Amino acid sequence: MNKSDVDRFEKLSGQLISVYEEMSLLSKKNPNDAVNKFKLKFVNRLIAESNEFLLAKYRPFDDFDSFDEDDIPHTSDVVFILSQYLQCFEKLRADNVVLEYGSWFWQVEGDDNDNVDKNGMIKIRTVKPKKLKD
Amino acid sequence: MNLIRPRLTDFHGIHKSQSDIDFAIQFFDEDIPLYVDPFLLWKSPSQQDQALHTAIINSFNHLNYLVKKRRSDDAIAMLIEISECQEVGLGVSKTRKGVKIGQGQAEQILQLFHDIPEYSQFGFTHFEVIQLYISGISKDRISDIASNYIKSFLIDYTIEQCESLGIPIEGVILESIYNYKNNALDFNQKVYLPVNPVNKEPIIFTPKRWLRFNPWINFEDYFQSYCPRDEIFNPDEPQERVKVLNYNREHYGAVQGYIEYKTRNIEDCTNDPLFSQIPTLSAKRKLDQLIKLPTGKEDGADLKYEELSASLLSSLFYPHLDFAQTQSRTESGRHIRDLVFYNNRDVDFLDEIFSDYGNRQLVVEMKNVKAIERDHVNQLNRYLQSGFGSFGVFLTRHELPKAIYQNTIDLWSSQRKCIIALTDEDLKLMAQVYESKQRAPIEVLKKKYIEFRRSCPS
Repeated sequence: MNKSDVDRFEKLSGQLISVYEEMSLLSKKNPNDAVNKFKLKFVNRLIAESNEFLLAKYRPFDDFDSFDEDDIPHTSDVVFILSQYLQCFEKLRADNVVLEYGSWFWQVEGDDNDNVDKNGMIKIRTVKPKKLKD
Repeated sequence: MNLIRPRLTDFHGIHKSQSDIDFAIQFFDEDIPLYVDPFLLWKSPSQQDQALHTAIINSFNHLNYLVKKRRSDDAIAMLIEISECQEVGLGVSKTRKGVKIGQGQAEQILQLFHDIPEYSQFGFTHFEVIQLYISGISKDRISDIASNYIKSFLIDYTIEQCESLGIPIEGVILESIYNYKNNALDFNQKVYLPVNPVNKEPIIFTPKRWLRFNPWINFEDYFQSYCPRDEIFNPDEPQERVKVLNYNREHYGAVQGYIEYKTRNIEDCTNDPLFSQIPTLSAKRKLDQLIKLPTGKEDGADLKYEELSASLLSSLFYPHLDFAQTQSRTESGRHIRDLVFYNNRDVDFLDEIFSDYGNRQLVVEMKNVKAIERDHVNQLNRYLQSGFGSFGVFLTRHELPKAIYQNTIDLWSSQRKCIIALTDEDLKLMAQVYESKQRAPIEVLKKKYIEFRRSCPS
């Protein structure tokens, strides 16, 4: 991973979280209600970008690419899948962060302009990975 | 090709739903139970509609001129002639044929110009009020008289609509057309109109926006909500219509007050749609009742199932599929009911079943049974050979048993016939999306079709 990957990670995971929260609200009201085509289009786009970013190693399911519009997925289906993606994003983060002086940092490859350490890595401040023991 | 209860558009291969078309689509065999309400023309924001209303009223008041000029016979002849307009196909007649009013009734109407000074002097502003004076004059007469006065406009309108939709027209002779310039009838006029293919009778279209189940001004409404019943009837006296009519003739103010009252509430006067969907709440209630029904025939459960699902599906599929009819037929001693829909081809899926399976209409067979059996599939399969195309739907309680499902797949493989089963679960989803408006219920049928096609060998 490098700096731009961290940027992409933050953007994608932020979007996933907000869509997940919105869909959870809908799902709590009516878990079996259909998701409209407008929302589904963007959910699918987000999932496609996430698949590309996570690569095979971190993708939640090998055989899930996107929702089929014609299958009329329920809100609860979308919430279920999004939660899996969020978990996998967290897993990716947990694998790439370190604890230093009480704070958590991404440890990623730096480029020529960065102040890299002896392994060629730089550190970027981040939050504590969720559901990890201190 | 045999179509069940064909409409003019279906007959000519124009696949548009009623909601997309400006006029009321006519059936060949019977009337549409709606009426032209002159009040809607008067109320319309369009100057053209208002002008037509003025034309109707002026023409009607011209009868007063004739009476005053001692040409009562002409006026009576005119009234009788314009009291029926069967070309517009509105009303409740099963045969599209109506009868004209009699001499006596025509005289009674003209008498109003004599008896009530206000009409004699100033004429009518809403001629529908004759319902409040004359016994036997009801909404269909009002509608027919209005249609006859503007028949010339309606003919032009019909031709214009036919040209834009590609409905064929041909030369026909109309008995009479009202001539606004001479205030007289032109008899035996040749015009170009669409015709009923069976009996070659001419057909005239009426814009949907002028149609109501009941005219805004009508006797029942007047009797219920406005007329001073205490003054008309003595206590414990039977409430007879004639007494009210007589009272009105002597109390012009009451009728005038009623018109003012109706004019004040003009905002509530809207045209009635030809089909209205059931409200969401009622759809949910119907679904709940349906889900609770036991399978089989006990306590008339099958009839109840048919009734509930007919009303549910016709609303859920609207406006993509216009409801045609519930059909009964008896095959091998069993009573089978189906729902038949017109295929308007307005969504890709419906277009596909038209082009791939030849479905100009869609048949839904209702089966309140525990499990669909081979016999049921064979019945529907046989049915699909006669004009319904080769796409059919079972409405049943549970998913098809595995062997039967395989049977339908084999049918597709060998004969390209497609049989889809909609179950209680699908109905639930349809009702759910009908309520939430997130997707269209018709998409649930598409979903089932796509699932079916995925199981078919490629």
